[in-house]
Amino acid sequence: MFKGKSKLVSGIIATSLLLLVLSACGKDNNEGAAAATSPASSSAASTTDASSEGNSAIQEGTSKLQDETSKLQEAVKNKDAAEVKRLGKSVNDAWLAYENSVRQLFPLEYTEIEKYVMPIFSASAFDKVDFEALTGTAAKLQDALTALKNAKPTTGTTSELLTKAVANYKVYVQEQADGLVSHTKLFVDAVKAGNIEEAKSLYSKARVYFETIEPIAESFGDLDPRIDARLADAEDPNTWGGFHRIEKALWVDNNLQGMDVYADQLLKDTQELSEKIKSIELEPKTVVAGAIELLNEAATSKITGEEELYSHTDLVDFAANVSGSKSVYLSIIPALNEKNPELGAQLDKQFQQLEQTLLGHQENGQYISYDKLTTEQIRKISDELSVLSSLMTQTASIL
Amino acid sequence: MESNEKKQGMSRLDFLKMSAVAGVSLAIGGAGVAAIENAISPSKTEAAGKDPKDEQIQLYGVHQPGIITPQQTYMYLASFRMTSDKASVVRLFRDWTKFADLSMSGGTMRTGDNPLLPPSDTGETLDLPASRLTVTFGFGPTFFRLDGKDRFGIANQLPSYLKDIPRMPRENLDPLQSGGDVCVQVCADDQQVAFHAVRNFIRLSTGYASVNWMQEGFISGRPGQTPRNLFGFKDGTANNLHQTPAGYDSVVWAGDGEPAWMQGGSYMAYRKIRMLLEVWDRSSLSDQQDTFGRHKESGAAYGKKGEFDTVDAAQMPNTAHVRLAKESKQMIHRRGYSYTDAVDPRTGNVNAGLLFVSYQRNPEEQFIPMLKLMQSKDKLNEYTSHIASGMFACPSGIREGEYIGQKLLES
Repeated sequence: MFKGKSKLVSGIIATSLLLLVLSACGKDNNEGAAAATSPASSSAASTTDASSEGNSAIQEGTSKLQDETSKLQEAVKNKDAAEVKRLGKSVNDAWLAYENSVRQLFPLEYTEIEKYVMPIFSASAFDKVDFEALTGTAAKLQDALTALKNAKPTTGTTSELLTKAVANYKVYVQEQADGLVSHTKLFVDAVKAGNIEEAKSLYSKARVYFETIEPIAESFGDLDPRIDARLADAEDPNTWGGFHRIEKALWVDNNLQGMDVYADQLLKDTQELSEKIKSIELEPKTVVAGAIELLNEAATSKITGEEELYSHTDLVDFAANVSGSKSVYLSIIPALNEKNPELGAQLDKQFQQLEQTLLGHQENGQYISYDKLTTEQIRKISDELSVLSSLMTQTASIL
Repeated sequence: MESNEKKQGMSRLDFLKMSAVAGVSLAIGGAGVAAIENAISPSKTEAAGKDPKDEQIQLYGVHQPGIITPQQTYMYLASFRMTSDKASVVRLFRDWTKFADLSMSGGTMRTGDNPLLPPSDTGETLDLPASRLTVTFGFGPTFFRLDGKDRFGIANQLPSYLKDIPRMPRENLDPLQSGGDVCVQVCADDQQVAFHAVRNFIRLSTGYASVNWMQEGFISGRPGQTPRNLFGFKDGTANNLHQTPAGYDSVVWAGDGEPAWMQGGSYMAYRKIRMLLEVWDRSSLSDQQDTFGRHKESGAAYGKKGEFDTVDAAQMPNTAHVRLAKESKQMIHRRGYSYTDAVDPRTGNVNAGLLFVSYQRNPEEQFIPMLKLMQSKDKLNEYTSHIASGMFACPSGIREGEYIGQKLLES
């Protein structure tokens, strides 16, 4: 959903790190005094002590994961769907068994592996296995594991780590922007060919790439409203265009007549966005704020089903917002490890929890329609997102 | 705090100026969200400033505040369900207790020095006095046992009379607005102060609990006079009969036979009762007075002169509200508030009514039979509909250093 800045601010429901007033009359409270010492210094020390021990655990865990991945590759080659599904789970289990120590010692390698394990695990829940996609993902996972085996522990000052984090995140943003252009092109082609069913199936595939980096688009003035305004957001309903205009044509009007002009403009706008992103200057502050904005987006228009009013594909956007936010989290892990490792561990746990819940709402690898969710199911997602958002707001403490 | 003079009329702002930040906690809990460490409130001497809103009520004492505290003008009632394990429940009640103490003393959570983090406190009471804020906690039946499971290992501590109010004739309950694991009643003479408290209770619960429903109410009357409900009748006149320490012991405070944590506590009965204002307003004065069995303006019972004259049931119609209440021969401590919601777009009628709240030591004896009698016979039923319900066991008060529910959770 396109959002004006003022609306965004008012939409933020963020629980913060709460500090309580201590009155000057000097009552003592040891518990508080203990908590007042920064945990960063103490855990940083213990991390170093544990590093050699952690290292051998990591070598061992990685060998196991490499074995499982090799078996998976074999099963993919044989197109053995049942075996792929079983191994998808065991690859994930093997990773979960030791990922915490990897995150502590090798955050950059951790991020790479995390990127590939998740889709492999997700595939295990699908009825239809996409062998071709899995071939690529599994190969990349093997590369990442080899890199991890040879990795040296990440070092650097917090500001160096943050600069690196921003650079890594920028690569991600550009990938998403490029994906947006190429998938919008497919979508637009289908729209212009008048192929309603194909356009419907391509619609949310393209939107995912927008929703992962939405706050970036919002920084470019009217590009965001041009691409993503809903009818209610439009200044003038007669000039309303973008994704949601075509969404209405596809799902409500069931007629694509007159959509060519919007389709062409949409493609142009995504190309412009991608171009602009090439020269964008990002700062740690902006990146972290963007991660929080993404979760706020999910917590406001997506969770209420207002974003995809006609197609009800809100869960797709929701998951994309979360995934975009997670990519920020993944890039700042080295800095988190340095300054606040506990927060990293909590974020990790909460992302997993929410992803798990979301996976439960997929059928055949596709998110179910928003209107199929019960109030209780929506509330569970919302509650888990609230916890995640509260944690995410605290990442600003590393800046 | 330095001196008594200085404390007088101390505003939240003064309080902030006089305070120092401590206990910078990194909010690492089970599910890990915001943490409060070190809630130390200012001195507990009653402030004696010119603004009556400076008055503070003590959190600590034999009984919880907000039960026999003279009614404040505004109330919020919020119900929560616990979403995590026992350690989280303990942590939540520690945080809630600290925040209750702080806000009842007119304090606000101090914001840290990192401007990139959201402010700790939502801030709308920074310039406002305590306004007789009270916070009262109660546990619902599901806090002890959910779907047959002893979820927090305290099922053996279930108090004697804690169960949902049984089905009543003519009720039309909305489960989404009823019951809950924990109920928090927040009252103050300033609505903004009351809302600030309930809002921050909800914030603090992130990761530990989830809010089910929230109601807001108001009631107003001159000091010492019984306030009137939205039908224009005095509501709670009979409280006058037991407002002595001995009276409270016999009506309000749970005692012998209850688990230790409940002795000195009380059962809170809650009913959200929609009142059909438009129908009522078209009824004749005599119909209205017959319905209650009291004179509208004076509040006197039929056949009597003054509001507090002893009621003679025989003088009232058989189905009069007050007559039935007397016939039940029971006393309860009423502490209800009026509410208004939106306009019904189909009829143009205003959604409004009563958030009935009563406290009693034994609801099975004092409240349920009375409610049953009224739901069957009360003439008032023509103008009302019960739409939500709840029964909560409010534990005894706490000493400084304890947290609400400690005796129960560490039993």
